[in-house]
Amino acid sequence: MLWSLLLLFALTLLLPLIPYAVAYVNPDAGGVPNPGSELWREVLNANVGATQVQGIDSGVLISEYGERWRQYRMQQLAPWGASVLGVMVGIFVVYYLVRGKIRIEAGRSGKRVRRYTTTEMTVHWILASTFVLLALSGLILLYGRWLLIPLLGASGFSVTATVCKLLHNYVGLLFAAIVPIAFFLYLKDSLFNLKIDGRWIKRAGGYFGGEEPSSEKVNAGQKMWYWVAMLGGFVLITSGLSLDFTNFFQQGREWLQGAHVVHTIASIGVIAFFIVHLYLATVGVEGALESMLDGHVDANWAKQHHDLWYQELQAGQDSAAPEDGLAAGGTHAGGVASPVVKD
Amino acid sequence: MARMKFLCDAERCIECNACVTACKNENEIPWGVNRRRVVTINDGSPGERSMSVACTHCSDAPCAAVCPVDCFYFTDDGVVLHDKDICIGCGYCFYACPFGAPQFPKNEAFGSRGKMDKCTFCAGGPLPDNSPEEFSEYGSNRLAEGKLPLCAEMCSTRALLAGDGDTVSEIFRERVTWRGASGFAWGWGVAYNKPGIRRGYDVEDKATGGD
Repeated sequence: MLWSLLLLFALTLLLPLIPYAVAYVNPDAGGVPNPGSELWREVLNANVGATQVQGIDSGVLISEYGERWRQYRMQQLAPWGASVLGVMVGIFVVYYLVRGKIRIEAGRSGKRVRRYTTTEMTVHWILASTFVLLALSGLILLYGRWLLIPLLGASGFSVTATVCKLLHNYVGLLFAAIVPIAFFLYLKDSLFNLKIDGRWIKRAGGYFGGEEPSSEKVNAGQKMWYWVAMLGGFVLITSGLSLDFTNFFQQGREWLQGAHVVHTIASIGVIAFFIVHLYLATVGVEGALESMLDGHVDANWAKQHHDLWYQELQAGQDSAAPEDGLAAGGTHAGGVASPVVKD
Repeated sequence: MARMKFLCDAERCIECNACVTACKNENEIPWGVNRRRVVTINDGSPGERSMSVACTHCSDAPCAAVCPVDCFYFTDDGVVLHDKDICIGCGYCFYACPFGAPQFPKNEAFGSRGKMDKCTFCAGGPLPDNSPEEFSEYGSNRLAEGKLPLCAEMCSTRALLAGDGDTVSEIFRERVTWRGASGFAWGWGVAYNKPGIRRGYDVEDKATGGD
């Protein structure tokens, strides 16, 4: 009696496993796969079907990439972008409160030296204005729903957003034209000098204490900004153009989603670096902004922040006929006695 | 309150495209815009199936979630509509929609898509019901007249069902029961968070259940 009960118990446990065992030994033994489920699996994998409707992606019944893109935009881009930019602004507010404006230590000498040519200034300001317009319009399109609709109402914000979208599309073309010019114009000054720039980076430019390390006409931080802006600009332009001309290459949704992801990550990165540049060029460093306003800086400012460049200028002035303060900036005049690098 | 849903029975759809034509005619849709389309999988091979697809009026609509100007709204019947006076034509709804429902007129200058247009479940838009303005911007408002979308109403094989989700799923469940096999509430998993395409081949549970 007991044994038969045990046997029964064992059989009830084991018998239902037989089909699994069969399927394990011979996976095809289950018979014909259900054609219906096979079909729907194909549909789910965005198998392109035939359709009478002429259009990009119209043969795709269902695409799950859209949901992935939605998750990216709403749950990653929006909060993380705001955090990154917010932290950047916060860092500089704190820095300003702690360190304050970086003054010209020796005071203004009254002697002006030329730092940038008119061409360099013009290109800078075209690049700057297009970049700021693009950054602001892009950020408004990303965050306006939360920040501006409560203020302007849906209809009001619609007007703002339309203007931003048009600005973004058209100013983007101008940006695409000016970035290559800027790239070649500032390239020579922005090539890294391992020894000088390495020391500058190691000491973080003296921004967090210590003496300001030696630098050439453009210091390592500015060089980094150049490369971030130019390479980031290149990424932004290529991805942006492919989002702009949506019918040109017959881009499908997956391409547009990918281009949008690349475009937004690059833009947050460049804007974050731009905040550094904006701070240092305006409120952060006394006497810096004027170099881009009239092309000249105070001689003591040059001596303090770009000592090697200043030495070059002086050497050039000694050998050339003196006129209008010092020689034109940036020229590697002959007869430069080995520049004295601050240690 | 009814919750309006579409359901296309792929075992019945014969790819006649009459729903597409009816939609275009009823709503006087411009060239280049297709609110509804029929897609055939494995066209010409044994086991080919066709499906009529348009905006499914999702419960958690991705288009509404990503819209930068928040122009979408949900009617009491669960129909997803949008305000074309607010839409800026950015195309984000098109990126996010799994069904490819949002459409854009292409006759605009470069980079500009024009206002988005999509299936309204024949429910018009935010303007006064059946006003000429509503018709020219959004097309017909049959729901306000107590009628269902024309695409489903005139479907000759009754493959395309439209109406209250409970009624639609009841009809479909009865069909599946009589048919004995091969029933599938296509797209319902994605659109209404119900087991459907995501869960494989099980229509007997809540996929067509009456909730």
